[in-house]
Amino acid sequence: MPTSEYNEPMARASAASDVFNAIAEAHRREILDALVAGERPVGELVDMLRLTQPQVSKHLRVLSDVGLVKCRAEGRRRLYRLDHENLRPLHDWLEKYEQYWNGRLDRLDDYLSDLQRKERM
Amino acid sequence: MTVTRHGSATVEFPSDREALITRKFDASAELVFDVLTKPEHVSVWFTDGDEDLEVCEIDLRVGGEYRYVGVFDNGVRCSFHGTFLEIERPVRRVETWVFAGRPDVEAVETVELHEQDGVTTMTVLLAFKDQPSRDASPWTAADGVHAADGMQGSYDNLEDHVTALA
Repeated sequence: MPTSEYNEPMARASAASDVFNAIAEAHRREILDALVAGERPVGELVDMLRLTQPQVSKHLRVLSDVGLVKCRAEGRRRLYRLDHENLRPLHDWLEKYEQYWNGRLDRLDDYLSDLQRKERM
Repeated sequence: MTVTRHGSATVEFPSDREALITRKFDASAELVFDVLTKPEHVSVWFTDGDEDLEVCEIDLRVGGEYRYVGVFDNGVRCSFHGTFLEIERPVRRVETWVFAGRPDVEAVETVELHEQDGVTTMTVLLAFKDQPSRDASPWTAADGVHAADGMQGSYDNLEDHVTALA
């Protein structure tokens, strides 16, 4: 493996770890799941998660700080939505994880096929 | 050209400190188990074209140890080892997993094989001691060259950052 190949993902990792920290908490992942379907007011999130409004607001603040959710006001309501672009570091990280495993397991797969082909001959 | 299952491994995170990898193989569970645990097999498939497996020792019994040392074309070594905790051929294997470049990132690896209609589904559950260890793991695994090479800088940055946030 050439060393240079990994410089870029390594550099990105620091920025990504903010996002990891934000999603390390189960309730915050539930909030993200709830927002996948679309924009929601805080009140709906409170009902869905069965938490208090201050608790939900605290989680939303963490998610906003790392840019995973965006907020807009509509009259007196505050509506929250996912910001997909900022999920990208997470996506990149997961892709790297999957690439590693796929590379190794694809070689195992090919080897198994070779063994079985030889057995049949 | 036959259809392959290339690229079909999936990665999930069942909890904050775990990673679950799932992959199907068109082979019996017995064969998959042996290919995963016998050095004469592992030494063939485990490494890529630019890496040689210099050491491949597998003492397949409870309490027995395994050790792999890979050497890349550029001379960099990458090694990991562990101890078998449970062995139930061909369906289940549990072992510790320690990467030499990052001994703090130890995991317990549980490998299960379920065969149905000639297709074996393999699941690999890696349980790390905490979330930062798990999140560092793709770099320790795929990118082990850095640690082995003494190029710890980027690693340490990542680690510091993750630890500070945890």
